[in-house]
Amino acid sequence: MGLIVKNVNKNFGAKKVVDDISFQIDKPGVYGLLGTNGAGKTTTIRMILGILKKDSGEITWNGKEVQRKHVNFGYLPEERGVYPKTKIHDQLMYLARLKGMEKEKAEESLQYWAKKLEVDQYLQMTPEKLSKGNQQKVQFVTAILHNPELLVLDEPFSGLDPVNTELLKNVIIELIKKGTYIIMSSHQMYSIEEFASDILILNRGKTVLQGNLKEIKEQYAANKLSLSTNENVDEIIQKAGLTIYHSKDNDYTINLSNEEDGYRLFDLLSKNHVKVDKFEIMKPSLHDIFIEKVGENE
Amino acid sequence: MKDLWIVASYTFKDMFKKKTFLISNLIILLIIIIGFNIPNILSAFNTDEGGDTEATTSKELIVDPQNVFEGNLETLNTMDTGYEFVIENEEVSFEEIKERITSGEIEDAIVISKEGEQIKIQYIVEDMTMMDGVPESLQDTFTEIYRTMQLSKLNLSQEELASLNPNFTFELQQTEEQEVRGNVLVIMLLSIVLFYSIYFCAYQVSTSITTEKTSKIMETLVTSTKPRTIVLGKTIGIGVVGLIQVAVIVAVALICAKFCLPEGMLESVLDVSQITPTLGIFTVVYFILGYTTYALLYALTGSTVSKPEDVQTANGPVAIVAVIGFYLSYFTMMNPNSDLNVFASIFPFSSPFCMPFRIMMGIATPMQLVLSIVVLLVTILIVANVSIKIYSNAILNYGSRVSLKDMIRMYRNKDDNNS
Repeated sequence: MGLIVKNVNKNFGAKKVVDDISFQIDKPGVYGLLGTNGAGKTTTIRMILGILKKDSGEITWNGKEVQRKHVNFGYLPEERGVYPKTKIHDQLMYLARLKGMEKEKAEESLQYWAKKLEVDQYLQMTPEKLSKGNQQKVQFVTAILHNPELLVLDEPFSGLDPVNTELLKNVIIELIKKGTYIIMSSHQMYSIEEFASDILILNRGKTVLQGNLKEIKEQYAANKLSLSTNENVDEIIQKAGLTIYHSKDNDYTINLSNEEDGYRLFDLLSKNHVKVDKFEIMKPSLHDIFIEKVGENE
Repeated sequence: MKDLWIVASYTFKDMFKKKTFLISNLIILLIIIIGFNIPNILSAFNTDEGGDTEATTSKELIVDPQNVFEGNLETLNTMDTGYEFVIENEEVSFEEIKERITSGEIEDAIVISKEGEQIKIQYIVEDMTMMDGVPESLQDTFTEIYRTMQLSKLNLSQEELASLNPNFTFELQQTEEQEVRGNVLVIMLLSIVLFYSIYFCAYQVSTSITTEKTSKIMETLVTSTKPRTIVLGKTIGIGVVGLIQVAVIVAVALICAKFCLPEGMLESVLDVSQITPTLGIFTVVYFILGYTTYALLYALTGSTVSKPEDVQTANGPVAIVAVIGFYLSYFTMMNPNSDLNVFASIFPFSSPFCMPFRIMMGIATPMQLVLSIVVLLVTILIVANVSIKIYSNAILNYGSRVSLKDMIRMYRNKDDNNS
């Protein structure tokens, strides 16, 4: 059954911030919630978690209205926060206890996830002495240490270095394997693209695109060509009637209107004995789709 | 309910782990211990160099060259004045007196002279900055010695002499039926202790909530438990800390009073018999009720700010209410039978500071007591309802400080189901 969000609306005064949103997450995995700043993502998340009340519509988890007693959820808010002057171990234990865990279980889980996220050596320290990245990892532990069924991650990778991003990704993969339902909101399209099978794009509170990411992408024709050569081929590209989107050190990204244009260019390169290191005809990325969809509605 | 105790217990432990809390309380205890030991410290300074603890007696010179007192001044040395009087009947110049005072031979001097019927008594001291005249005790003593001397010349019988010293008994009575007992010093002291303990404990609630809001952990917290649980749990946790704090301060003060003060000193200042178990119980009850009222008000103001620097401004109105409540109770206590004092003992923002003392003075009627507690309980319910509703809506507001208009809107907001 999973999570069902049906015709949900929310107004702040006269301003409509969420306009008739509907989606369903019926299997474990990552659901991508995308949108520009102020699109209504955080408000939607807060309504799902019961922090804000919806004006109308229905939000259910396994057929029951979403409430703390019905769903064991975890939340990593966009606004990062920890108690700055309280020992990390003590605050993690406090939040685990509030989530209904017994002391022994909480301790076990706390140690497990702290080690996974490489913050176990900081447990007896106060967060004010840690870097922002480590504070963020501590907060991530608070979101998952009670083994939530539904996990909401609002911008989980922002501010993390590549090493810690990788660490977090591995934890997310582990959670997916455990059967966790995850809603991920992010501006970093590549991370959504990496994890999410289904997405919903919001703009000004309205749904502008939703569905299975693979199916969405299939609806789009190839629109870019990625090309790497051993020499400058600007003239050949112009001869083929194509425009360069971006180029650097003989690495080109070329705009395509159809796949045939790409093959035509490949023939020309062969005739001119150009050594081609990379030739890839690409479907639009989620980034491109997002820009297109949000742009249409601006 | 379980969450409530988890929040309360966490808040309680967190308070005790704060260095500032521990240090400030240690300073208070140290001040109390030093304060009660001041008599011992002063007496230690008065000891002789060789370590002899017996205090030296100051010498006072009396110069009576005309023998105006006809040798009767020796009686001064039989009185328990703490001085040794050196009586000389030769002329002593002002310069010589000055020299003897400066050298420390004498502390001060009294020079007696008579011109016709006029007797002049000069009191010569080293520094008269802190004096506003010749001490009355000194005037009375010399007048009495001279009067006794003159009376003895009249050859009166013992009965006649006795009749000149009437044995008056002065007694104070009132027309009001209720009798007011109580020592103003005790009332003032306890009133101030009660006010500060209630006020500062309640203030901690505001600080604690603002810390959670400014550190942005609030969003994680409200997904873990209900806002109502957070507010009430904090109020309970800090309240218990406050009670322990006051209990420790009072206990240390009592122990110091018993073991550090010279015998009988405390009883001479305070009527200890007025501090009864009943008064203790009611003081604790009013502490809890008063603290809860102010703590919930501070929970409201604490949730309306996003920056630590705004806390004081936001708490201003509550501080004004508390100070008005305190002074209303404090000043009307001088006239405890006035209608205004009765009002102060029932008005919820002043009754915690006022009613314990009406009980102590024995003028609180059972009806007033019940009314006062009921009014406080109703106030707590109303304040809790308003505070929790506004808190639930204001905690996720990270923008500018919440205005009164916003608070009214938040109170009416139907999002209160999350509280």
